[in-house]
Amino acid sequence: MLHLLKIDLKKLTSYRTFWVVCGLYFITLGFATASGMEFLKWLASFIEGFGSKININRIPLYHFPDVWLNLIWFSGSLKIVLAIMVVISVTNEFSYRTLRQNIIDGLSRFEFLLSKILTNVLLSLMSVAMIFVIGLVTGMIYSPSIELDKVITDLEFFPAYFLEIFFFLSYALMLSILVQRSGLTIILLLLSQMIEAIITSNIDDQLPWIIPFFPMRSIWNLIRIPYSRYAFQEIQDYVDLGSTAIVIVWTFLFNYFSYLKLKKSDI
Amino acid sequence: MENVLSIKNLTKNFGRLCAVNQISLDVKAGQVFGMLGPNGSGKTTTLGMLMGVVNPTRGEYSWFGEVPSNQVRKKIGAVLEHPIFYPYLSGQKNLELNAMIKECPPENISNVLDLVELSDRKDDKYKTYSLGMKQRLAIASALLNEPTVLILDEPTNGLDPQGIAEIRELIKKIASRGKTIILASHLLDEVQKVCTHFAVLKKGNLVHVGRVDDVGRGAELVEISADVENLNELLLQYTGTASIQRQNGFYEVTLRDGFHGKDVNRFLFDKGVTASHLVTRKKSLEKQFLEILAGS
Repeated sequence: MLHLLKIDLKKLTSYRTFWVVCGLYFITLGFATASGMEFLKWLASFIEGFGSKININRIPLYHFPDVWLNLIWFSGSLKIVLAIMVVISVTNEFSYRTLRQNIIDGLSRFEFLLSKILTNVLLSLMSVAMIFVIGLVTGMIYSPSIELDKVITDLEFFPAYFLEIFFFLSYALMLSILVQRSGLTIILLLLSQMIEAIITSNIDDQLPWIIPFFPMRSIWNLIRIPYSRYAFQEIQDYVDLGSTAIVIVWTFLFNYFSYLKLKKSDI
Repeated sequence: MENVLSIKNLTKNFGRLCAVNQISLDVKAGQVFGMLGPNGSGKTTTLGMLMGVVNPTRGEYSWFGEVPSNQVRKKIGAVLEHPIFYPYLSGQKNLELNAMIKECPPENISNVLDLVELSDRKDDKYKTYSLGMKQRLAIASALLNEPTVLILDEPTNGLDPQGIAEIRELIKKIASRGKTIILASHLLDEVQKVCTHFAVLKKGNLVHVGRVDDVGRGAELVEISADVENLNELLLQYTGTASIQRQNGFYEVTLRDGFHGKDVNRFLFDKGVTASHLVTRKKSLEKQFLEILAGS
């Protein structure tokens, strides 16, 4: 397993695009999540222009345990950058025809896929670790008091966050293997949320029960937007098991479809 | 001798097109086996199936008597069609990656780079290499795991005469180490110079298998010229003549089985004609190849 991961990392670590895209992703992730208070200050001054005032110190954006879900939900929106990196890495193997040479040299098709899946796991784990560290540090700075039971509250969202990233990277991997062209794959990736929204809004009246089973919707349901709690609304402050199951099944299916396609095709 | 490769009724259809049709073939240890055929005759598709990248429609094959698997492929060095590497990696890094895939010691890298004379360019990116260097790197990569079988598909494609000569020398050097080589090519001259056995494919069908040494046997070819007007008619009268062609100022006579150059000579002499030029020629692989293709 580790051997396969090393093979894929060997391909990536000398590839400049990989460093640029991953660098951009992790830098953006770091700066964006760490600068929430600056955003609130800007928001306050913006609203002041309309004559009303908000006291930003009363919004516990970075207080334990709010910090976890706030950061996780926000960083989920950046996963598209990582997914594009996966698309580039996989479609390159088709356009350079190196996939073919890898198989000739003695990798099985399954091993090739596994090496890509393992990289996806690694990238997802790195995102989780990054958000955990940023959450811990900002929480320490901004929380008025640090109590252990508050710090460990909502930590179950981290496995959910891992699942969200890994689900999306698996989706990107599957699209890349099915489409094989980077440009078209990236466009499909960007549009998939919208395409799904169009479909779901059209069948909303006839088959409302089926909507939670759509892949992008299942991710939406897994980690719901938390900021509405500051407008005195109820939020889902637990990981819903039903959505988790749906996301896991989709993730499995994406990787399984990738395998089927690779197995059947002449490379 | 043991079979290195054994193919039984291997078939590949692409939709309605039958690219490879029921090929059966054995390659034994130590052979340098040439696969001949015009472009699109199914050479690369056949090799693709043998290397696991093309799924056969029907039929089976075995390497070293084993069921094909990716583990078996690690024992084979193969270059199909043209060299394939990561363009952004250096030659050295590409080979390191291949060594990881083939699970062979990275110490072999410097040896194979020396063999193909690429050591001084090993740290340059692959995309900066010339075509000849790319071909040589591909051969280096194929030799990396010290394979007992080497598959080369058009290894001299697109090379200049010097590059062709270099690759040919390299193949001979490798063959002299007792490795089994399967060489697909449409350059007949090349196959005749380096191969011991050859097979001919035409539109996916195997139309001939044999030894290269046997090519010269059978019907003899005699080049004749003489200072007489009616040489053509005379030669046509001769019972041993199968066909006559006028070529390069000579009459090229293909003899029937059992007739030889000296028989023609005697016949002409008896007729009172002295040949000013009489050469018995071995049939070239090219001629045999064209005959096989025309006859099938």
